Amino acid sequence: MTGSNRMAFARALVATNLKATLALRGAFVLQVAFMALNNVTFFVFWWVLMRRVTTLRGWQLADVQLLFGLVAVSFGLTVTIAGGVRHLGRLIEDGDLDTLLTQPRPVLVYALGMRSQPSGAGDLLSGLVFIATSGEVAWRTLPLLVVALVAGALVFLACGIAFFSLAFWLGNVETMARQLWDLLITFSLYPEPLFGGVLRLALFTVLPAGFVGYLPVRVIQAPSVPAVCLLVLGACTYLGLAVFMFERGLRRYASGSRFSTFG
Amino acid sequence: MMRLAATYAAFSRVAIARAGRERGDLYGRIVFFAIILGVFSSLWRAAAEGGLPTATEPRALVWYLAVTEWIVLSTPPIHLEIQEAIRAGDVVYRLGRPVSYVGAELAGTFGVLAVRLPLLGLTAFLCAFAFTGWIPPARAFAVVVPFGVAAAALLAALHVWIGLLAFWLHDVSPVYWVCQKLMFVLGGLMLPLEVYPAVIQRIAWLTPFPALLAGPASVMLAGGGATPAALARDLAFWGGVTAAGLGWTFRRVARNVTINGG
Repeated sequence: MTGSNRMAFARALVATNLKATLALRGAFVLQVAFMALNNVTFFVFWWVLMRRVTTLRGWQLADVQLLFGLVAVSFGLTVTIAGGVRHLGRLIEDGDLDTLLTQPRPVLVYALGMRSQPSGAGDLLSGLVFIATSGEVAWRTLPLLVVALVAGALVFLACGIAFFSLAFWLGNVETMARQLWDLLITFSLYPEPLFGGVLRLALFTVLPAGFVGYLPVRVIQAPSVPAVCLLVLGACTYLGLAVFMFERGLRRYASGSRFSTFG
Repeated sequence: MMRLAATYAAFSRVAIARAGRERGDLYGRIVFFAIILGVFSSLWRAAAEGGLPTATEPRALVWYLAVTEWIVLSTPPIHLEIQEAIRAGDVVYRLGRPVSYVGAELAGTFGVLAVRLPLLGLTAFLCAFAFTGWIPPARAFAVVVPFGVAAAALLAALHVWIGLLAFWLHDVSPVYWVCQKLMFVLGGLMLPLEVYPAVIQRIAWLTPFPALLAGPASVMLAGGGATPAALARDLAFWGGVTAAGLGWTFRRVARNVTINGG
């Protein structure tokens, strides 16, 4: 399958999923609204804290707001377009990849795009509002904002693929993988200066919250060629490693001998 | 009476055995708890450097969070199990038992609490001490432990009530989310209520959330927070309201349950 065919297939998957999600309009609106409310509620904590402390090791409320917005939009993009990533571990563990392996389509793309998380739209919406009202993005930095958001989404996706692909080797990793992913989100939502030493190193390597939140914030606030290159390179490397890991795991995949209808 | 108590105790024992087997979830909660306390101990240090103008020391705020998270993380998401039982139809055979359905669910939930509260309490103690190098006075623990356990039991009962709403709503996630958010802000999950604007504080005290979290946890702060008598009064009041709500809701839903098939 050529690259353009893959893209066309991925686009068709996303479009089909979005249509399916929007078909249940009431449930969709409810999930979007509650996710947006969820994000706003969590931000109340920062609003209350920063009313008392104007700066937190150099970070102000607007900086935290930008961080929140970037992480929310990146995460929203990931679970809206590639919502299947959250179910990857179960697909592997239950032998449900059988049905995908028989299709003349790339397995990973199919597995990722076969679901869309409606609440992701709530993250997207609230994240964009956070960014727009932070006052930290100018028209001239819009292209950088797009790069930062896409890079963040790719890192989220890469981590999801890697964490859930552990099921190829370890079996049932559902709880562990979800918790690792939650940790990535948790760490990416706090200002970078709070973490130092080994933990900071970990946040730019094994649990790359730095590439989801901190570095994108830096790219927008103080744009520089090295920072943008590092962000793009980091996102591509993580995605490459995750795809490699999935492909290696797929070689070990034991069929579930499943006979079922699919589609 | 004794026989009835023994019956519910059996539900608790089954839940304890199950909770003991499902260790993955418990370990995950322990790790998450330790990380959250680590992040917040760093955050409070940074806030203190920035001149957080509260009478409370950063180390006391870490212990405050240790108590609120201990209560929240110990409480199992029983509403999801009830919802699934209703969706799958399993609730039918549970309703037919010669014991109260709500009572059995509560007994099971208390069984899970019996496993989680001590382990997560120990995690809270060790992590908070490791991150602050300080232990609050013993009399604070003498108040926090019993009232924290009572608050966790009340929170579990609240989750059972949310689960019962699945008879009407089918999906209770939105109700749970709202409850969770209200607990976050009005319960003072991460910040003591005193730090919030006066209007939020006034609204908060009209809800059960401060009694569940901020009340017991405030004992860790300078000044000692609420008195044991006030804590007992608030928990008893909201416990009564929750019990009445549970009874009323269950009677309403049980009256309208339609069972199809066999």
